[in-house]
Amino acid sequence: MSNYIPTIGVEVHLELKTKTKIFSPSENGYGKMANSLTNEIDLGYPGTLPTLNEEVINIGIKAATILNCKIRKVMHFDRKNYFYPDNPKNYQITQDRTPIGYDGYVEIEVNGEKKKIEIKEMHIEEDTCKSAHRGNKTLLDFNRAGVPLLEIVTKPCISSSEEAKLYLEKLRELLTYGDISDCKIEEGSMRAEPNVSLRKKEEDPFGTKVEIKNIGSISNVVAGIEKEIERQTKLYDQGQEIVPQTRRYDDKIQNTVLMRVKETGNDYRYFPEPDIPFVVLTDEMIEEAVKEIPMLPDERRRIYQELGVSKLNANKLVQNRPLSDYFNELLGEKINHQTASNLLLGDISAYLNRNEKDIKETTLTKERFIELVNLIDNNTLTSKNLKEIIIPLLEEEKTIQEIMKDNNIENITDDTEIRKIIRKVIEENKDSVEDYKNGHERAIKFLMGQIMKETKGKANPKMTMDILQEELK
Amino acid sequence: MKDKLSREELLHVAELARIELTEEEIEKYQIHIKKLLDDVEKIKDVEGYDEEQLIAPWSENTHLREDKIGEMYDPKEVINRAPKHSGNYIEVPVVVGESEGA
Amino acid sequence: MRYLNLPLVEINKLLKEKKIKPIDLVNEAYENIEKHKEYNAYITLNKEDAIRQAKELENKEVDNLFFGIPIAVKDNIVTKGLRTTAASHILDNFIPPYDATVVEKIKERNMIIIGKTNMDEFAMGSSSRTSYFGPPKNPWNKNKISGGTSGGSATTIALRDVPIALGSDTGGSIRQPSAYTGIVGLKPTYGRVSRYGLIAYASSFDQIGAMTRNVYENALLLNTIVGHDDKDLTSSKKENEDFTRLIGESVKGKKIAIPKFFVSEIVSKDILDNIKQVVKILEENGVIVDYIDMKYVENTVTLYQIIAMAEASSNLARYDGIRYGYSYEKPNNIDDLYVKTRANGFGEEVKKRIMVGSYLLSGENAKTYYNKALSIRDDIRKEFKRVLNDYDWIMGPTTATTAYDLDDPMDDPSKSFLDDVLVMPANMTGLPGINVPIGFGKDNMPIGLHIMGDSFEEAKLYQIASFIEKELKLDLNPWKGEENE
Repeated sequence: MSNYIPTIGVEVHLELKTKTKIFSPSENGYGKMANSLTNEIDLGYPGTLPTLNEEVINIGIKAATILNCKIRKVMHFDRKNYFYPDNPKNYQITQDRTPIGYDGYVEIEVNGEKKKIEIKEMHIEEDTCKSAHRGNKTLLDFNRAGVPLLEIVTKPCISSSEEAKLYLEKLRELLTYGDISDCKIEEGSMRAEPNVSLRKKEEDPFGTKVEIKNIGSISNVVAGIEKEIERQTKLYDQGQEIVPQTRRYDDKIQNTVLMRVKETGNDYRYFPEPDIPFVVLTDEMIEEAVKEIPMLPDERRRIYQELGVSKLNANKLVQNRPLSDYFNELLGEKINHQTASNLLLGDISAYLNRNEKDIKETTLTKERFIELVNLIDNNTLTSKNLKEIIIPLLEEEKTIQEIMKDNNIENITDDTEIRKIIRKVIEENKDSVEDYKNGHERAIKFLMGQIMKETKGKANPKMTMDILQEELK
Repeated sequence: MKDKLSREELLHVAELARIELTEEEIEKYQIHIKKLLDDVEKIKDVEGYDEEQLIAPWSENTHLREDKIGEMYDPKEVINRAPKHSGNYIEVPVVVGESEGA
Repeated sequence: MRYLNLPLVEINKLLKEKKIKPIDLVNEAYENIEKHKEYNAYITLNKEDAIRQAKELENKEVDNLFFGIPIAVKDNIVTKGLRTTAASHILDNFIPPYDATVVEKIKERNMIIIGKTNMDEFAMGSSSRTSYFGPPKNPWNKNKISGGTSGGSATTIALRDVPIALGSDTGGSIRQPSAYTGIVGLKPTYGRVSRYGLIAYASSFDQIGAMTRNVYENALLLNTIVGHDDKDLTSSKKENEDFTRLIGESVKGKKIAIPKFFVSEIVSKDILDNIKQVVKILEENGVIVDYIDMKYVENTVTLYQIIAMAEASSNLARYDGIRYGYSYEKPNNIDDLYVKTRANGFGEEVKKRIMVGSYLLSGENAKTYYNKALSIRDDIRKEFKRVLNDYDWIMGPTTATTAYDLDDPMDDPSKSFLDDVLVMPANMTGLPGINVPIGFGKDNMPIGLHIMGDSFEEAKLYQIASFIEKELKLDLNPWKGEENE
């Protein structure tokens, strides 16, 4: 264990879910033929000018709201000047001085305690093109050039790799739910870059910052941070200085390797982008955007639990966005929500997974589902019955009653009839009744078995048990 | 006031601008650029400036573009216009490391 | 018969009456250009395509005044399928796959692009001598400059090769060469004409405008190229209007301000005398002319240099030999590709301005210079607006001297200051400005008057410019009719 206090900050880049690029009407697409999604603007041809995609602003407002940021109502863009082959104009249009959102936070739960990870700022900018290195050449594909990005920067307030992981997971959950981004780290639509520094005591100033790039998964963010803490600890212990630098995580050797030592102050020569006048966000624009934000995970979990759904089920539902959205349509219905959640997460989920289907593609309308929940709740359908009819329930248009009939399900729910049979069984099994009364709990199971035999399994088990216990008193 | 820009200063801006200079050019630009910069120094005498003031390049606000896909180029056309290409890609000498930006 | 010497309205009439065909005009234009080859007005000619287009037009109805009219386009305005170089080696093989918005507009009216005119490389300079293709020469004296940066467009109009041309103006680049060559050139209000497809020098100053033989035709041409463009966020949403509508209306009782600095000792006596002559005519016709003090006018060149060079250093970063244009053939590595492509591809003046611009934005300098310049620029705008609240126009000479010799030294800072100082305020403030010829100096070279008006009041500029033009009745054809047969 390290003798030093780690300070961690994380920068996250997200590709936004828009149809077109941020500054041009070219398609924002992934996995298409190289250089097939470009026009003269994306390629930085002479005389071209940027336009601004309204959906990017819209998504920016939503993301800022979701991450509890303040929203900048008057903003502009800046040029960040640096030469690089993946940067078609050799400047990137970004927001240096007026990020769309600032002073926000994301709440995580560390060892049962809530902690706010503070967000310094979030700004919108354009992505670079994709480069692939082959021997002595680098190949450029400009499809990604100009894809809208959101960069979210935390304050250096994260104190462990575990917190960084929880933050990223929470961020991903929130922003996927908010329809901000796909947040797929593998496809590069979410990129996380932690920076790590160590210091001896809380009162000490921050140590030297080392950035880690090129991380392909959240678990590697954790590994990268831990390796970096290890490396820096060792250097400090040996009395050596930490050099400010950028490292990358190499999955093969499961360690970080040096990419480059930071030149003294990168000279990006920022200045306000003269091709884009001020962007003024009106209250109406903000209201409209905020209205589009779907109910977020934490609120879902809270409401589900208030409706009697177990914490376990609530969590499971939220992890499955389509099911959770389906469930949200039932929030105002007078049904047993725990039963409903069991149903969705049990046999229905199993069916959907098996058939790779979305619940919206089944014949289980909201009305049918409500009927189903009530039938189970009032014991008309047993879980055994459900398994038998799950396919027709989800694939056929027939009513539940018809499906039950087709499958010969006629449960005895008439309690006088059940009572009659129970009394008969009690009469015929006096010994077992005696055993039960003497404290042999298992005897009741034998009696139940006998009753089921008499009813050919059609008696509702719960109801039967209730009546049996009553009769045995 | 010096009449020449120092060699280091000149080479620094040449590096920022990615322009290679010959010895002869260095000599010449040390003088020419210094002249221009001296002229520019006059701005320091002008008063009335609020550093935090944000300046809009122009007065009308930005109008936003509808998120609708427009025309795009044929990849063949794109790569054929580039000085060097390989397959459907534009080619450059190998670049080590990753982008500074994004 | 030289049809291209006729007023546009008459050419249009002949076309409508089928007395001439567009191809006659195109042939005549190329004959003129061939005859005036030594003036070096063009970088690239569009002969084949122009002839093809002229023939196609024979089957079409003459539906507007500009139908079939040959037009020259400055070579920093992008033309689809026609080489566009900005007079730079770095773009000398660039054939754009798209049109500038103004080019789309002139094509819609079936104007015929004759060729791309010579200019200063990337519009950096004031005599068109920084062109990779050599400078154009002044039609009034081959040993003199045509001015810049739209020197080629000014030259070809003054030579009467074609009747209309497009130029661009970042710090006087339409108005100054217009003055030196005796033609009419107007820089519209910033935002009036779309910049989409105008190869950027300094984004917050650049503006495309019309260059013509007279005021009326300038207004007509401006009518065709203005309008809001979704592709240019800095283009204004202002309604279109007929810019000829005030031409001929009385100027009696109107007020003109002449900033004292504009008629101070920086201006040659020859030119001051001509200005006085115009003032006299104006006063005789009931116009009130006041000499006033104005803040900042002396500072504009410094501010201009800071903003223009800073923006230019960034705007020209894209020329790197990777996606298009000239590329150094045998780079050892990526950095070698950058530094050698740009060292070989750019000329001296362009390299100098890019380096100075990089310096001005470097580190803390952005705050000290660029941001401060933007802030003061705002004050200058307010100062001009203040004056234009009380006056209809602000007036002065367009240039401090007449066109100077082609072999005068290029890097005389006091000269470049004088080249810019009188016309620059229109770019600093975004206001419209027009050059109208008012006479000749003792050297027989043309002299121009510069008039500025309030934002989007181009029509009013044409009103006063046309009034002066009519009063002076100058013969502005360098051949004085002798070449007319």
